[in-house]
Order: sequence, then C-alpha cells, then structure tokens
Amino acid sequence: MFSNNRTGWLLLSPTIFILILVGLVPFFYVLYVGFFKWNPLAVDPSMQFEGFGYNYRQLIFDEVFLSSIWRSIRFAVVTLFFELSLGFLLALSLLSSFPLKSFFRGVHTLPLVIAPIVVGSIFKLFTVQGLGPLPHFLKDFFGYTLNYGLNADQAFWMIVIMDIWHWTPFVTLTLLAGLSALPQDPYESAKIDGANNFQIFIYITIPMMVPVLIVVIFIRLMDSLKIVDEVWMLTGGGPGYATRFTGIHIWKEVFEKRFYGFGSAMSILYLYITIVICWLLYSVMVSRGKSED
Amino acid sequence: MKKLFIALVASIFSFSAMAGGHAEWWKKAGAPYAGTVLQGVAENTPPGQFAGEVLAKDFEALTGIKVQLENTSWDSMYDKAIKDMEANSGIYDFVYIEQDIVYDYLNRDFLVNITEGLANNPDLQAPGVSLDDFTTFIDYFKDGSGDVFGVPMEAFIKVYLYRKDLFEAADAKASFRAQYGYGLSPATSFEQYRDNAEFFTHYCADNGMECWGTTVQGHTGHPASTYEFLESIGPSFGLYNWGVNMDSYQSCVENGGQLNGGRAKAALNFWTQLLPFAPPEALQSTWSEVGASFAAGRAAQGWVYGENAAWIATDAEKSAVVGNVGVMLPPTAPGVMTQAASGNGYIGYFDGGAYGIPHSSKNKEATMLWLQYVAQNEVQADWAIAGGRITHKSTYADPKVMAVDEQADGYFTLMRDTGFLYAGAPPFPFHGAGRAAIDPFIYKALAGEMTPEEALDGACVALDKVMGDLGYQG
Repeated sequence: MFSNNRTGWLLLSPTIFILILVGLVPFFYVLYVGFFKWNPLAVDPSMQFEGFGYNYRQLIFDEVFLSSIWRSIRFAVVTLFFELSLGFLLALSLLSSFPLKSFFRGVHTLPLVIAPIVVGSIFKLFTVQGLGPLPHFLKDFFGYTLNYGLNADQAFWMIVIMDIWHWTPFVTLTLLAGLSALPQDPYESAKIDGANNFQIFIYITIPMMVPVLIVVIFIRLMDSLKIVDEVWMLTGGGPGYATRFTGIHIWKEVFEKRFYGFGSAMSILYLYITIVICWLLYSVMVSRGKSED
Repeated sequence: MKKLFIALVASIFSFSAMAGGHAEWWKKAGAPYAGTVLQGVAENTPPGQFAGEVLAKDFEALTGIKVQLENTSWDSMYDKAIKDMEANSGIYDFVYIEQDIVYDYLNRDFLVNITEGLANNPDLQAPGVSLDDFTTFIDYFKDGSGDVFGVPMEAFIKVYLYRKDLFEAADAKASFRAQYGYGLSPATSFEQYRDNAEFFTHYCADNGMECWGTTVQGHTGHPASTYEFLESIGPSFGLYNWGVNMDSYQSCVENGGQLNGGRAKAALNFWTQLLPFAPPEALQSTWSEVGASFAAGRAAQGWVYGENAAWIATDAEKSAVVGNVGVMLPPTAPGVMTQAASGNGYIGYFDGGAYGIPHSSKNKEATMLWLQYVAQNEVQADWAIAGGRITHKSTYADPKVMAVDEQADGYFTLMRDTGFLYAGAPPFPFHGAGRAAIDPFIYKALAGEMTPEEALDGACVALDKVMGDLGYQG
C-alpha cells in the first residue's frame, strides 16, 4: 500500500512541481508585491513597504477600478446569458437530423480555433468606420451609424457580440456532449405519460443537464471576467472607459504606468472577487439542485 | 550567364559601397562573430522595415552575422523590449528606443554606453563611421556627460500635408471664395485650417469623392490621440512640455502648470471640432491609419508624421496621391513661431528613435558592429528615401535624396531648414505613466463624453497625482 502511494506521488511529482512553479510561486509573488509601493519610474524606484493595507485601501476608493469591475461583471452576465441560450438552442438543433448537419457542425466550431487576438483583428476589419463592410451596409440599408470609436454603448455591445461569436460554439459543443450522454429512459417514460416537448425540456432535460451547465457556466464566467485580448485589439478599452474591463485596467496600471505594487494588489483583489462570485453561484446552483432532488 | 555575372559584379560593388569602401574591414571585424544571430525588436515603420529587409541582409552578407529584426506594433514593441530589459533575460541584442522613452531607459540603466563600449574596444571601431556625422537629433540619446546610448535610425518632423490637386482645383477655389470671402490656400492659421476642413468635406461629398477635410489621429482607445494633442496640436497653440511646470512638476493652472490653461483648452477645442470634417475612421486612427488615410486620398490636409510623408508623396504602389502632395509647416498661434525660433518653445514634435543595446544582450560586440553598420553615411540615402527619415547631416545633399525631395514638395529641405523649430518629448522619466494618466480624458473629449474644458481639468489632476505619487513634486 505504502509502495503504491510512493509510486503514485512519484508519478505525480512532475505535475505538482510544475503547478507550484507556474501557479503558486507567481501567485505568492504577486501577493507579496501587492503589499509594496513600487514603481520603477519613481524618484525612488525601490519597493517601499507602507503597511499591508496601503494599496488595498487605495483600491477601495479607486473609482476607475471599481467601475471596471462592475463593467466586467455586467459583461460576463450578458455574454453568459446569450451564449448559454444560443448554445443550448444550437446543441438541441444538432441533436436532430437535417441536411448538411455535419458540415454545419464543423463550420460552427471554427471560431473556437481562432486566437482571441485574431478574433479582435477580424472584427476590427469588419467593423472599423470608413473601411469595414459592416458600418457601410448598416448605413446603406438601415440608416444606422456604427461608430464604436465614438459611441460607448456600441463599443460595449460590439465586444459582447464578438465574445458571443467566439465562444458560443464552445458552449454548444459541451452541451451537445452532455445531451448526447443523457439516458433515454426518462424521455420514454415522459412521453408515455403524455408530457409535451416543453415539459420534457423543463422537467427532464434541464435537471439532468445541471452538472454540465455548472461546468460550462464556470468556465465561461471565469473566461469572460478576464477578457483582454479581443478588447485590446478592437477598442483598446475605449472610448474613454467604455470597454476598459478589469483585465485591461490592470494591464494599463502595471505595464503602462508601471505601478507594480498597486497593480498586483488589484490582481489579487480581482481574483478574490472572481472566486467569491463563482462560489456564490456554485452554492446557489448546488442548493437549488438539492432542493429539486 | 552574362546577366548572372553582371548581377554578381553589381552585388559586389553594392556591398562594397554599402560598406563605405571598407568591405575588407567589415569582413575581418565580423569574422569572430560569424554565425551569431542578433535579435532586435522595433516598431514596424517604413525605416524599420528597410533596416530589417535591406540593411540586415547586406550586413549578414558582409560579416556573416545574421540580424533578425522583429518589427512589430508600437505597443507590442515596448511590451517586449521593456519586459526583456526588466527581467534581464537577454532575448534582444538591440532594441528600438523612441525619443520620448529614452529618459525612462537611461533612468533605469537599461542601456549600454556605446561611446564607452567603442572606446574600450578599438578593434570594433569601424573606419569611416563617426557619431559626429549625425544631426543634433543624436543629442537626445546622450547622457549628461555626452556619451551616446542609442544610434539614431530615424528622425522626422510632423508636418502639414495637403492635397495640391484639391487646393488648386479652379472650381474649388471659386466656391471657397464665394463661401468664405477669401482665397483658398493651405492653412497658415487655425481659422483657415478649420474653414479648409469644412469646405473640402462638403466639396468632396458634392463631387462624389470619398474624401474629407482633414485627418485626425483620434483613436479613442490608443495613446496615439494623446500624442497628437500633446505633441502636435498643443505645441502649435503654445502648450509646451505637456503643460507641466518643469520646476514644480505640477500641470494644473492653479499649481503653476498649463495643461488646463487657456492655450490648452483652445487647442483641444480646435482639434475636437475638426472631427465632423475628418474621415469616419478618425476615431479609430493611430499614426499608421492617418498615413494610410491620406495616402488613399481620403483627406485634403492634416498633420502627418514625416516617416509617412516621403512614401505618400512618391510611392505610387502604396499611395493614390503621388504628385499631388504639398508639404508645409503646420499653422501656429500668434507668437509660437517666435518662441520656437528663439528656443523658448516649439511648433511640433521632432520624432524618431535609435537602436540601443540592453545590458542584458548576450552579443554586445557583434551588436556594436551592426549599430555602426547602420550608422554609415553610405547607407543613409536609400534609407531616407524608403523611410522619410534623415539622421545624418550629409544625407540632405545626396543626389538621390534631393530628387525625392523635389517629388515630395521639399519635405527633406523643410526638415533641414526648420527642424530646429521642433522638439522631442520633454525629458520625463515618468513619460509612460504620465501619458497613460491623461489618455482617458483625451478619449472622452474626442468621444464627446466630456467637454474639452472638463477633460483637461480632469487630465491635469490625474497627471499631478501620478507625478506626486512617483515623488517628483518634492
């Protein structure tokens, strides 16, 4: 038994070593730096300890940071809603048979293999005022002016649409896998009992899909909260602060302004907020699942 | 066979000429480092492309030292270079140092002292290469004792470009006079600039042309817009050094600064009011897009970086306005030209950059050779034509450059004769942090979320906070 454990630990040790090296060490370093006032552009470029709460106290009153968190949460909730709805719809559609189904299934997953920065570039080429086809057609056919360099709401929703385009296929694929693995007995019983399709979906499909949905929601929620690349490419966080999500705000504080200590504290606080949101969501979903059982 | 022979002879002569007639010395000096691969990172500009695609290959053919120059976006270039130098990782043997960031790099001791390096290694000193050949632009890359830390590879001024064909069109002239009561001509005042912009926006629309009255480098999520305001529009209104009081490091008027003063507010008002007359892509335009828009014939006039001026005026493969480009100094407010001429101000940005060697470079000696190779007088003329940049005094008199100068409406002559009216960025070690503090306010002013007055009142407070936090206010 001991021998088996030792072999197991030995086999796991490279993984554990890598996890410590690339996960825990940077985390604790960022935590450590977050306690210091540190900017290499300062008159005194050294790390200065000004109390454990120095940077965190500043953060609490940093309106730009707080508004970026609210913006990120709003973005995550909106994209999650649309991606889940669309993804579920597409997954259900792909369960049934229709002409060119395999072709569609292949094509609709293509956005998944594109790097986020490239997705940003594609959308920029399509939507940039004056040169992109989308503003041109919107203006010509609907009289609608698309200029997200000027309009904050358009900029936000353009990012939302881009994220939905990029990540809905992931939701679809994951839900499709879940749907395909569901047992057929409950469906047959429900049909015999006279349940209609809507009732089957609400009372059988959804409850049985809860574990898969939890996984999808968590992955997408965490991904949405840390969005950077696509936004960076499309709007750069503008106009003004309109699309300055927390990831971009942290980047600007750390790499443009070089406030390493402040930026590190920001990262830690945002990580904490993300964990709290996920934990709350998890608790709600699990407790709801139990009450339904 | 005959063609091959001619090509061979031509290439030998070409290398010999590129090596300033010292081909043997370069071969001998490069021999110990043959096979070495030098990694560099720079902004993807026309001069950078010429260095990577032409000079690097010639240098390799001569010395056996390969130069891999990563020409990338401005943001990415800084990101990579600074992270490499901070981590001391030694990925890059040379980095692009933009004039405005040099004070930051020197302050943080990122760069090798080239003067000292060459003095300590006489064997590496290339014959015929002298740092004295450079224009005064090299002074920006010297420390207090006069030692050089960067070899200039580009220098240019931001000029006023205009479309000669549009300004000279008879119907445009008549129509302008009828509407505004005076003659149509390139702008020498801000009022005239605005009138021109308004007029050509309507004129183009009426004549079914895809063009507008002016360029605006107004990206609402990229520092390019802040730079256009602080380094071009602001100075032409008399706003110098970002409005920062250089003694107290304060920028708000109430503390002795000028960033929210009358001149700054007039400048931002003027600039933002040009937006209705700019191409629709203006709010997503950096310096690259401004150059591209003008080259595509989408603007009648504008402030355009000189690195783009030469190719816009001469390269028919890339530009639709070849032969129709006029070049002038930008308009200035009363008194600004006098202040600039006396050295108490400047009318715009003298932009450019240099290649420097990070302390972390693993191939400093071989890189010294490369930097001297690009510093030769003999390689400058073709480089100037390709990139609209001049870093050496003698380049202005080169026949090839003079020919292009004529095609480009005297851009090089303008730079030679009036370059002293321009200035590089103020010597702020906190350059990036300061600018990033101002950015959002400029974006908001451009997007109409704030009035210019509100934006500058907010910007100066944000900038003062950064300078205070960094300990510059004593």
